[in-house]
Amino acid sequence: MLKIKLSQTIPNPLQLNLECIPGELHALVGPSGSGKTTALRTIAGLNNASFGKIECDGEIWFEANEINGTTTALSPAQRSCGFLFQQYALFPHLSALENVCIPLYNSVARISERQAQAQQWLNRMGIGELANRMPNQLSGGQQQRVALARALARTPKILLLDEPFSAVDSPTRQGLYKTLAELRKDLNIPILLVTHDLREADLLADRITVIDQGFGLQSAPPQILFKRPRNSRVAELVGISNMFEGVFTAGNLTWNGCNRVFDVVDKGKIPSNTPVAWVIPADGISLHAIPSTTTIEAEVEYISTLGQIAVIQLRTTVGNHIVTWEASAAEVKRLALDAGKKSYIEIDGAKIHIMPLRPINDPRRFTE
Amino acid sequence: MDPDAIYLSLKLAAWTLVLLLPFGIWAARYLLNAGLLKPFIEAALALPLVLPPTVLGYYLLVGLGGKSIFGIPLVFSFTGILIASLIVNLPFAIQPIQRAFEAINPEIREAAQVSGLSSWQIFRLIELPLAWRGITSAAILTFAHTLGEFGVILMVGGAIPGETKTVSIAIYDKVQSFDTAGAGTLSLILLGTSLVAIAISYGLFGRNPSPSKGWRS
Repeated sequence: MLKIKLSQTIPNPLQLNLECIPGELHALVGPSGSGKTTALRTIAGLNNASFGKIECDGEIWFEANEINGTTTALSPAQRSCGFLFQQYALFPHLSALENVCIPLYNSVARISERQAQAQQWLNRMGIGELANRMPNQLSGGQQQRVALARALARTPKILLLDEPFSAVDSPTRQGLYKTLAELRKDLNIPILLVTHDLREADLLADRITVIDQGFGLQSAPPQILFKRPRNSRVAELVGISNMFEGVFTAGNLTWNGCNRVFDVVDKGKIPSNTPVAWVIPADGISLHAIPSTTTIEAEVEYISTLGQIAVIQLRTTVGNHIVTWEASAAEVKRLALDAGKKSYIEIDGAKIHIMPLRPINDPRRFTE
Repeated sequence: MDPDAIYLSLKLAAWTLVLLLPFGIWAARYLLNAGLLKPFIEAALALPLVLPPTVLGYYLLVGLGGKSIFGIPLVFSFTGILIASLIVNLPFAIQPIQRAFEAINPEIREAAQVSGLSSWQIFRLIELPLAWRGITSAAILTFAHTLGEFGVILMVGGAIPGETKTVSIAIYDKVQSFDTAGAGTLSLILLGTSLVAIAISYGLFGRNPSPSKGWRS
């Protein structure tokens, strides 16, 4: 199990607490410059934090506090971690096989055994026949697989992946997703994945930590994170559409500018008469062709159809709020939706998630 | 022809190369992480490029004459011109290697670190093979420049046949004594050697990267 608690203010702020169990794929997501890669490098020992503790499988890799200073800081070579670099960082003067042999260099095995092990890793990555090729003779995806084989050759205790899919084309990426999914089952070690692609994190990760300006804002499984973000900044960072503002008063939510009140469920964490942000998941919205007492009038701004899925953007007549709704092409046809036409939105109050309003410059976004 | 002068020049160039190249590799690698001191060290090492040979020669004459810093006079001896040659060639031995080390992507070193290699193993297995062009170029430039060095050698060593009279000094002597044919022959030898050396050096840096097969797992 990997346990991380990091804290520093200079040169870059970093406040991160997370745990990752063997077999779990934990994604660190956040905008560019948010500190995701710094966190990953700190875990690998390529950077050191001012304070904190990194513990892997019961072994302390790094420990520093204000009283005793740094008491433990293992070198990257001493930490048993596989690191996959964004640009692969293959050794350009060595063949694919030799690249994978490098992590085995200090093993007691004979050269022929090391080469056989390296060849096995390449076979496992599906590129066994490319063992003698030099890195500049390999495609991006093939280089990525060599880099992954090299990261795993030392049978590390954790695997760290720094935006591993950002430099490859889409079909190659799909293949790499598959390889990673297969490896996860076999390796049974904690895997940390840094990505700025939320769709990728949602697809691959068991758990996601959202990082903003070095601070870990929320750590949760994707289904929880996307439905119940901790505050409005998290919702903004994870790209949740249909986020609005309102005022929460004793179980009721008033939608700002819309004169609409919903009965909402809250855990009692938000005090009464508090301005809040709120989100509604796609399954909490329905559209109707005729109005009723529970619907809100809106005009269809545009419909974007991709295959059998259509994304409809509507603007409410009162309040000018933009609501996005996804539906099947058949549903669009049934409701006779078209740009410029009126439609009636119904929102299920029970599915509304309210949260503290924490804009980007609000320091409380890190803690509340 | 002056076989003694040619032999002496080759001997001086070979000794300079043997002694200076390992130091050049060490210094170039050290300069990668020299921090705030780096500009000052680099400036000091580059001084022989811009200082007039007479100025450098004067200081060496003072430093190596009398009892010298080594306790014995070293001027007008082969050891003296060798020390002068080592100092004059510092930029030629260090700068190409330094550029080659600097050209290695830092992520390559980090990948070696997380692969479990020690600093020495990273240097030997990764950095040295990747910097081989810079090292070869430094060796060629140092060798060629030593063959052609004149001012400092003359100041420190004079023109003692078989001891300090190198090819370039011999050319000067021959011109002084109106032996233009002899001077021409020796000049042609130096010209050819320098041209070939620089052509090889440019060739090494001009080509696309290709693998060096200096190591096998």
